[in-house]
Amino acid sequence: MMPGHIVRFAIAIVAFAILARLPVGLDPAFQFDAALAVIWGFGILSLVLLTGYAGQVSLCQATFAGVAAYGAGMTVAGMHGGYLLGIIIGVLAATVLGVIVGLPALRLHGITLAIVTLGIALVFDKYVFQDHIFDWFTGGTGGWQVTQASLFGIPVDSSKHLLTAYDVMLALFGMVAVLMVNLHQSGAGRRFRAIRDSELAASTMGVNLARYKLLAFALSASIAGMGGSFYPRIAGSVSPQPFWVFTSLQLAAIGVLMGVRYVPAAALGGLFMAVVPDVLTRYGHGTFMNRFNYDISYDWFQLAVGVLLVLQLILLPDGVWGDIRAKALRAWDVVRMKPREEVRPA
Amino acid sequence: MTQFAAYTIIGLSLGGIFALAALGIVLIYRVTGVLNFAHGAMGMFSTFVAWQVFYGTPHTGMAPWMVTAEAIGAGLLFAVVLGLVLELAVFRWVRNRPQITKAVITIGVLLALQSAASLIWKNNQYHLPIYLAPQTSTFKIADVPIGANYVVIVIVALGLAFGLAAFLRGTAFGRAMRAVSDDPTAASLWGVRVDMVGAVSWMLGSLIAAVAGILITPFINFDTTSLTLLIVDSLAAALIGGLVSLPMTVLGGFLLGLLETYPTMWIQSLGLPRLIALLVILAVLILRSPRGLPAVAK
Repeated sequence: MMPGHIVRFAIAIVAFAILARLPVGLDPAFQFDAALAVIWGFGILSLVLLTGYAGQVSLCQATFAGVAAYGAGMTVAGMHGGYLLGIIIGVLAATVLGVIVGLPALRLHGITLAIVTLGIALVFDKYVFQDHIFDWFTGGTGGWQVTQASLFGIPVDSSKHLLTAYDVMLALFGMVAVLMVNLHQSGAGRRFRAIRDSELAASTMGVNLARYKLLAFALSASIAGMGGSFYPRIAGSVSPQPFWVFTSLQLAAIGVLMGVRYVPAAALGGLFMAVVPDVLTRYGHGTFMNRFNYDISYDWFQLAVGVLLVLQLILLPDGVWGDIRAKALRAWDVVRMKPREEVRPA
Repeated sequence: MTQFAAYTIIGLSLGGIFALAALGIVLIYRVTGVLNFAHGAMGMFSTFVAWQVFYGTPHTGMAPWMVTAEAIGAGLLFAVVLGLVLELAVFRWVRNRPQITKAVITIGVLLALQSAASLIWKNNQYHLPIYLAPQTSTFKIADVPIGANYVVIVIVALGLAFGLAAFLRGTAFGRAMRAVSDDPTAASLWGVRVDMVGAVSWMLGSLIAAVAGILITPFINFDTTSLTLLIVDSLAAALIGGLVSLPMTVLGGFLLGLLETYPTMWIQSLGLPRLIALLVILAVLILRSPRGLPAVAK
């Protein structure tokens, strides 16, 4: 083990210990938010791999999570399997969809890929998740009700064991996050970055474009699916609404806003996406200075995301985390009295 | 046979709307190099402004056509201002950024516009459309009754397409726009005011999106999301025209409208038309332009 690996592992353990304690003792709605934050964290982590590392644009990450959620729901509620099997089936379903979406990506890149993935998100939202033809997969209009789930033979239902699920998800998220940081330095990670910088140059240097693009899509979809497959477990049911096309757009927007090249931005973004709207809608009403009534609805959150994304792309192109990171590195250089470097490698 | 003809008419008018929306996308993409994912959202917002004037304000003592004219005028005026504001506040500052960055910015604009509209008009579905012609007026071609509203849409779509083409070819400003679309640096050296051209194309594009949005209201129960998401169908139509050719874009719009309408003779499904749009997008992108979109001004 190299020193870098040990440091990352230690940071992940400490972060896990802190984050796992945070929602203990809070009311169940906040515990649900905490679990949801990990799910959206997985969603943005999948974008870090696909967009930040491999340079492939995707506007359908929530679709991958949704397919995994329905796959898990179908296994548990429809076929009475254990929850572990549900997660495996869910992640497999998302990975298969990832490879299918990756196939047209072999011929496309940049903006055209954004158009195609937006179309895929819309088709799954309006057609697959809502049409009666797919009732075998989506459980009909009510969706799957996952109340009798069991993990390793222990019965776990969503209302009583929210924190158990949260801890399992958080541990999984930490492991995937450390693997992602390691991937950045590995051979596959270097090939991903070569594809991001220039597909032509990468293929000239012998990178198998088809293999690594498909690999990026498959890995990304399975990461998004890992989060999604826990959704029926923590919410008790699956419905199309959490995975509709606007969630995909928000994942992309918040991912870019937080800094799509950096793994910690995924944790930041997931927390932002799950906790901020809930806190706003729960506490954001009352009377200001005894005169002005205000009532903040969910739409204000999305409005803020849209405006912040536009401002960020004009002012801080590397995202919030990228900006913090650059400032911190600069401050560290000042402390060590090193001369200013022009460019820091990512 | 009558049924087939009726579906053809619906398909053609739906296609006319797609064609209109796609024209705006192509215009903005060609001149400024921004692929505008917020095009549907911009049209949606202007449509709701027109709707608000039509149904939400008192019109005592006004003839019906004056109310319609007032509502549409307000919607179109708002659209022009919206296009200008977006260009001045956002897109002027990112002209030299990569194309994909500009596209992601339009996603931010999409999210902001959709949620702002949702704050004002809520998430209700609206049924009351803005009719351009009286709903009852129909006439017959070969024993098939045709609603005047359907004919208006096709005429407006074709008229705007030819008008836009004539404007780009025949007028000095149109030539300036085409010059900027070919090479902004060279155009500016020849004295073309690139800023002005960009602003005008955003205003024109926004205006066309508003026309498309207002025209579609008789067809669907519309809300802030459904009109915003028309962007996928409009992009499909624009891609058939390769994002450059205006006549091919209009043709693509009509083709897509027919393709999405005929299956509803047998299958009632909200999602199927979206699947058809996606398949058209895939077919066009993979078969027609595998190397990506035509290069445009940065």
